[in-house]
Formats: sequence, structure tokens, C-alpha cells
Amino acid sequence: MRRLRGHERVSGLEQLTGYLFVLPTFLILGVFVLFAAVYSLWISLMHYDPFFHTVYPVGLSNYKYVASSRLYWFSMLHALEYTGVVVTIQTFLAFFFAVLFNEKTPVSRFTRAIVFIPAVTSSAVISVLFIWVFSAQGLLNAFLVHLGVHPENWLESTTWAFPAIMGLNIFTTAPYFMIMYLAGLQSIPSSILESAALDGVRNAFQRFRYFYFPMLKFTVFFVVVLGIIGSMQLFDQVFIMTDGGPGNSTYVPLIYIYNQAFVFDNFGAAAAASFILFVIILILTLAQRRLISEVRWA
Amino acid sequence: MSRISPRRVALLALTVSVQLILALIYIIPFYWMVIKSFRFTIFANFPPNLLPTLQTVGNYVYVWHFSAFPHWYLNSTLIALSVTAASVFIGSLSGYAFARLRFRGRDILFYTVLATLMIPFPVVIIAEYILMVDLGWVNTYQAVIVPSTASAVNVFLMRQYFTTIPQEVEDAAKIDGLRPHQIFFRVAAPLAKPAYAASAIYTFIGAWNSFLWPLLVLHSVKMFTLPLAINFFKGANGSQIYWNQMTAAEVLTMIPTIVIYVVFEKYFVKGIALSGSKG
Repeated sequence: MRRLRGHERVSGLEQLTGYLFVLPTFLILGVFVLFAAVYSLWISLMHYDPFFHTVYPVGLSNYKYVASSRLYWFSMLHALEYTGVVVTIQTFLAFFFAVLFNEKTPVSRFTRAIVFIPAVTSSAVISVLFIWVFSAQGLLNAFLVHLGVHPENWLESTTWAFPAIMGLNIFTTAPYFMIMYLAGLQSIPSSILESAALDGVRNAFQRFRYFYFPMLKFTVFFVVVLGIIGSMQLFDQVFIMTDGGPGNSTYVPLIYIYNQAFVFDNFGAAAAASFILFVIILILTLAQRRLISEVRWA
Repeated sequence: MSRISPRRVALLALTVSVQLILALIYIIPFYWMVIKSFRFTIFANFPPNLLPTLQTVGNYVYVWHFSAFPHWYLNSTLIALSVTAASVFIGSLSGYAFARLRFRGRDILFYTVLATLMIPFPVVIIAEYILMVDLGWVNTYQAVIVPSTASAVNVFLMRQYFTTIPQEVEDAAKIDGLRPHQIFFRVAAPLAKPAYAASAIYTFIGAWNSFLWPLLVLHSVKMFTLPLAINFFKGANGSQIYWNQMTAAEVLTMIPTIVIYVVFEKYFVKGIALSGSKG
């Protein structure tokens, strides 16, 4: 940020241009994020039916309704379980991918490009494709029978449907976060790694501990936080592949919110449910910030 | 240093093979999807036949001529291009203002933009949907386009890039008597092409693949975007999905983002590096 020099006066024209340049952003974000958030809070305190225009305040009863819903807390526990598993695995896996594909070999460019395909592909396409992969006659079973595993209709099993969706998401988000680590790795000056080699830091573990991790601390933080925010908002894959089933075994908060609003026309409860979700996401990301600033990597 | 030890060779061989194995795992589902789209077989057989076969292009002909596919393609293209053009242009204006122009309250305004990133989309979807009902925008293009025309991420990315352009270039333009907006359009913006490219790519792919918001506001089949159409195809035949036609639709949906990725690959890492590093 450039400091104002003492003798330099900012022209009115520059100020005006500045305001005009930021105006469109503020109009759009102001209406569709800031106002919408406040509006959402207001709706959560109402009985709200947008089609018959019946709106009247109901106090906290939407929150009471949601907070006493077993299905909602069940879906929240699912989301937390999902976040714990998926974020942990994808954070490490993405790191491994980045280090692996950062190594220049005759095939590194080509193989990295292939691994990145799921990250640029529509979640709808991926979900429909993986319905087949996980189906009784699918690719996963075709592979597993060679290992002697009994074929299973993965998405129709209350035990396996959710782990299957976790697996699919790790498969697609690991390459996405790999790019973030690659950007971080490429910003480490190679002279630092060379001097590390001269200092005798040769084994891989020490290289991670003393060089990669301290240099990439913020990238790790971003990957974890974005991972948590994304995981808690899981929707597309569940909606397309299982719609919360079988027997609610893949029910997550966004499916609950969607159903309350667009199946039961219960917009007030949906808004309340989304606010509770917001608070939980906020707590998780803030806790993360504390955690990471207290950890000393080196 | 250039001495080639057996250990180095072994390490290289190991790296190459792990890279190849991972690429193989990642390509197989997509490879299967493509070969399936060129087959007659309607139902899945087990074990799946993974040999490359070209039996028919009929699935593509069917999808293109006997469904609203061309229309969906047009919807997706129109929406993704409008969102990209607007969001990148608006993002660059604001990014430039936050990086270079001096006006009262600039820092507070900038942090407000960043703060909007803390509000997850689910918090606002209900209100945003009701807003669309109030505006009478449900089932229109603008319902999908307008809320996405400003993106805090794009503002941030462009600002980061403009701060890296040497100030001297713009000072020279100022001495030549150019006004602030002329400096932006004639000097700064042309220098920021890589940042424009990176944010355009990410915005386009995001808009093309977006699912939840279009699902809420686009109700009639004619208005669908491609991801909605894919989901619609899945339900259309009940439990008996015509996998081969389905896969043709999937391949057609994937092509634009894959082409963009292959052509602009170098900007992918650059875009992240811009938005991730240096606060």
C-alpha cells in the first residue's frame, strides 16, 4: 500500500474515480451477500411463505424447531465426520501430489494434467459418472473382485454410501488443492533448498519438517480452512447420487436446508438451519486459525 | 553435481512410475465414459469391457437431436460468458482502485470486500432465492448471472496483480496528463493481461460447473444449464439409465472446460499464486 507523501494532495478526480471503480462491486456484494445475510436472519425469525405472501414474526420458534430436530443434528454430525475424514486425507494427499508432480520427469507435465481433470469438471458429471463406478456392475467392483472382495452396490448400502461419497470427494479435491501447494512450492526460492542440501539435510522427513512446512504454513492453513468450509457445505454429490439416502445415511445439513425450503416450503426453518450451520463453520475456521498459529513447525 | 549415481536413477524411475500409476487411476473413469459413449450397449455388463471400441456415434446424434441439448449448451454458454465478462471487468476496476487510487475509506472498504468471503453461500441462499421471487426473476437468465457479477476473489486477485506493476509506469502516464481512468484503461489494464486470464479462467469454469444456485432458480427444462440437464437425464428414465446416451451428454459437457484447461494450463498455478500469496 502506497503511503501519501506530505506535499502530495490527492486530486478530487482520483477520489471520485476510486469511488466509481469500487461502486459496482459494492452494489452487487452489498445486495447479494451483505443484505442477503441480514435478510436471511430476518426470515429465520418469521413464518415465511413467499408464494402466498404470508409473513408474520414467530420469534425463535424456527430455531427451536431446527434445534429439536434429530434429523438436523444427525446431518450435522455427518458433516463433521465427513469434514474430519475428508479434510485430513485430502490435505496430506494434495501435499503428496504436489511434491510428486513438482519433480521434473519426462512424464510429469502430462500426468499432472491428467490428475487435474476432476478439478475442472462439473460436479454433476463427476457424480453421475461415479454412480456407475460405485454400482453393482461398476468399475470399483470390477477392480475389487481381483482382490477377492465381495461385489457390493456401494451407494445402496447404508454402511458404504457415505464412505463412497467421501472417497469420491477426496479423489476430486486432492488435485484441486495440489495446485495450491504447487503455487506455494514454486514460491520457495530454490537457493533455500540447495543450501539445505549443503547443510546435510538430506532425508525427506527433515526436509519437510524444516523447510517445506515452515515455508508452506499459510498454504496449509488455506487448504485446511477452504477444505472445512467446502466440506461442511457438501451438497451436489449427495443430492445427485443418493439424495440423503439410503435411510438418511448420507443426510447432510445442506440437504436438510434444501428440503425444508424447497420440499416443505418451510423457509423460516431453512434460514434458521443455515444460520446454525454458519455459526458452526465460523467456530471451526476460527479454531483452526488459533491452532495453526500456536503450532511451531520449526 | 551432474554425476549420475544409481541411486538417482532408481529415484527417478520410482517417481516416474508413481506419477504414471496415479495418472492411470485418474484417467480410467473418464476413459471408460468416453468409450461407453461410442457403444450400442444400453445396460452395463460385468465385468466392464474396457477395450477401446468405436461402434456408433448414434448416442451423440441422439443427445443432440432428440433432447433440448443444443438449447442447454446455449444457456450454459450464455450464462458462463456473461458472468465471466462482468465479474472480471468489475473485479479489475475495483482491484485497480484498491491497489492504486487514493480515496477516503479505501482500506475499510477493501476489508469489507474481504469480509464477504467469510459468509458461506448456504447462509444467503434462502434470502437470495426469496429476493429472486420478489424481483420476479425466478426462471430467468439474470437470476443466475446478476448475483455472480461481482466476486471478492476476483477483486482480491486483480488487486494483488496491480500492486506488482511498477509505479513508475503509471507516474509517467500521469505526467503525460492522463486522467486516473485513462491510466487504468490505457496503461495498467493492458499490463495486467496474465491476471485477467487467470481470473477469467477460474470464473468461467466455476460458472460453467455451478449446480446448486441454478438448481434453485431455473425451473423449466428449457432454461436448464448443462449440469442441471445431466441431473435431469439421470432421473428421466427412472432407475434404468441409458448409460451410453448419458455418457455422450457428459462428454459434451466436459469438453469446454477441458479445452480451456489444456490451452491455458500455465495460468492455473499463476492464478492461485496471485490470490494465495502475500497479503
